[in-house]
Amino acid sequence: MIIKLSGGKVYDPANQIDGKVLDIFIRDGRIVNRPRDDETIDQTYNLNGKVVMAGAIDMHTHIGGGKVNIARMMLPEDHRADPSHHSALCRSGCGHAAPSTFTTGYRYAEMGYTAAFEPALSPVNARQSHLEMGDTPIIDKGGYAMIGSDDFFLRMLAAKKDQNAINDYVAWIMHASQAIGIKVVNPGGINAFKFNQRALDLDEQNAHYQVTPREVLKALSRAVHELGVPHPLHVHGNNLGVPGNMETTLKTMGASEGYPLHLTHIQFHSYGTEGDRKFSSGAAAIAEALNKNKNISADVGQILFNQTVTASGDNMRQFANSTLGSPRKSVIMDIECDSGCGVVPFKYKDQNFVNALQWAIGLEIFLLSDDPWRIFLTTDHPNGAPFTSYPHLIKLLMDKTFRNEMFAKLNLDAQAMSTLRSIEREYSLYEIAIMTRAGAAKLVGLHDRGHLGVGAGADITVYTDHADREKMFSKPDYVFKDGELVVKDGQVVKVTWGHTHTVKPDYDKAIEKDIKQYFDKFHTMNMENFKVSNDEIAEGGRGGVVVQPCEGRREKSL
Amino acid sequence: MSALTFTLKKDLLQKLDVSPLTPDQLSDKNISQISATLLWYGKQQLRADDIFLIEGSDTQDLVFEKCSAKVDYIGSGMKTGRIIVNGNAGAFLAFQMQKGELLLNGNAADFTACAMSGGLLQINGNVGDYLGAALVGDRKGMKGGTVIVKGDAGERTGDQMRRGLILIEGNVGSYCGSRMLAGTIGILGNVGEYVGYGMRRGTLILTKRPSLHATIQDCGLHTLPFLNLMFKSFSQLPSKFAQINQNRAHRFAGDIANDGKGEILILE
Repeated sequence: MIIKLSGGKVYDPANQIDGKVLDIFIRDGRIVNRPRDDETIDQTYNLNGKVVMAGAIDMHTHIGGGKVNIARMMLPEDHRADPSHHSALCRSGCGHAAPSTFTTGYRYAEMGYTAAFEPALSPVNARQSHLEMGDTPIIDKGGYAMIGSDDFFLRMLAAKKDQNAINDYVAWIMHASQAIGIKVVNPGGINAFKFNQRALDLDEQNAHYQVTPREVLKALSRAVHELGVPHPLHVHGNNLGVPGNMETTLKTMGASEGYPLHLTHIQFHSYGTEGDRKFSSGAAAIAEALNKNKNISADVGQILFNQTVTASGDNMRQFANSTLGSPRKSVIMDIECDSGCGVVPFKYKDQNFVNALQWAIGLEIFLLSDDPWRIFLTTDHPNGAPFTSYPHLIKLLMDKTFRNEMFAKLNLDAQAMSTLRSIEREYSLYEIAIMTRAGAAKLVGLHDRGHLGVGAGADITVYTDHADREKMFSKPDYVFKDGELVVKDGQVVKVTWGHTHTVKPDYDKAIEKDIKQYFDKFHTMNMENFKVSNDEIAEGGRGGVVVQPCEGRREKSL
Repeated sequence: MSALTFTLKKDLLQKLDVSPLTPDQLSDKNISQISATLLWYGKQQLRADDIFLIEGSDTQDLVFEKCSAKVDYIGSGMKTGRIIVNGNAGAFLAFQMQKGELLLNGNAADFTACAMSGGLLQINGNVGDYLGAALVGDRKGMKGGTVIVKGDAGERTGDQMRRGLILIEGNVGSYCGSRMLAGTIGILGNVGEYVGYGMRRGTLILTKRPSLHATIQDCGLHTLPFLNLMFKSFSQLPSKFAQINQNRAHRFAGDIANDGKGEILILE
């Protein structure tokens, strides 16, 4: 079976193709070379005048795991207000801010996304996360295992264990939780919260373990790098949302001492303390540092105005924010003594000074960052806004007139504090394709996704080149997932099941002896039950585990 | 103009949702449009005239005849006019009712006056559990309006109630006023166990002393002038409470396990 996509304008930054008219051929779910003349082409799609890109990849979106489920349970009003009815193909579901799993998959696919990554997969909760992602149809998925506040790791750090042992533990966690990356949330802070610390700066010690977030970051970023994991350490920094936290963020960029770091939802970490209200934009300084430090990448975590819910592992900061919730309710909890969780519903309002400035700060970071390969388009779904608002965000980035119109509606005091209106930049389609496809695939380590070269998985999205970019990106003409047409005119036409992407770095299995002892002594479950197997994910025919290559173990530390 | 009357044609096997049949939603519709209104019956949708014999024309004055406990959501979100129900009513009677009058000559099932915010609901019969409670998952129950019950009420009456008035002439089951946030519930009959369980604020007016759990505290006998004013305000209501006028009450405060600003006043 050969499918030909004929005459579309192709944007494929991984192969330096910027709007060239090309034919693409698909065979058995892969992109292949032009077939020989004697081979028959079974199906041709005429894409004259259409825009062709790889399927989009959301590299940071909370779509599975305990906290998402808590958000769902906590917000019956969110579900009642946004029902989606079942059809002959699709199951019913509901939820605007925290949609049900099936609805999540359909909505992503209908927007041209073919992969999404859960950034806070708590290893002790990995099974739950994978089960939920297993119920998320069509798109590929994967998760970043969240460590850095777990007792086993902090004990190792406090005991000044050898870096090789830490590397082995990190690799073991990635195997056990079927992860593709490692995330650290408020490094050491989730644990410090349990010892009654309510704030933790980069060089402040955890009261119990006497280790600092800087040490956590250094050990983990080095471990991830030395194991050859493509995705750099995924960092949700200290002091999220605190005015003046830009200083912490700038220091954090240096904390890994040159090892790669990915700073996530950086908008929430880019606040200054200037002005009458002691809250200002730190976007210029953050973007400048980002431009300068080539080992740092970031995603923005843009906020957009409306009702949403914030769900995070950062129980320390979520506890501090819980009184700001709207509707006023929250869940702040510990998870199996190994990590934390905080869920607070939020309504961002354009007439609120802080919210309006947050909106502007996010866009300033997008527009002042020079390298689209190191800055990514996210709303930190659902924390800044639900992922369904991505087309609106793309329009804000690509259309200066529209952006300034929206800006003019904001709280006047916030307008006075922002330089957004003076920024001329408009993103091009090529740059959007980098941020949402090629760059994201490279960052996450998906070697056969996010591009349209020969051998790539045939995840392809076709748009109509509409001047209104929101319209264009909210309703693709065609979406192919592994060569199968899954969406036509923005509607699901076939339900398939995506893969779960992982990496499996090599490590010394002797570490299991220590881990087993620890489990037997302290943990709520047996070590063997902690591990999620490939079979569990593949069960029921809903996709399977794909192991993306690690470049191999980098030079061992002395 | 005669009242727009919906007479049930036959016994229902499934639950029927009549939430589209309220005076405000029907006000600008003619009889053929009303007949064509689709109603959920179990998992299928049926036309209103498949289920009801429809007569009359005054959309501000609805009557349900031969009504049964399978008929849910009568007067849902009602904003104007009047509904009279002859026969029994199912769950969610007067769900989110905002204004107007609803009279039931029969018994109602659970979740009557759920999340109601205004208007007058009179029930000449008994009601099930969770009278004036919150919609499942929500944190606030009834937010306003008046509910008069001539018969008995079930368990969890006024659960998470936020504002408004419930007057019950008969007996009430256990956990009356549980997790109540504010508002007033008056009961002439007996009250079950754990009255005011987790009650935060609000007022329960009883005529007989029930068994009280440990975190309800006795505050002694009081003369409370506000009671005269309150009973005076009841004088026009179609309830036996209209005949009471008394300002002496035995006061209990609770639930002190949850703020303890609620009060249980026993008229002795």
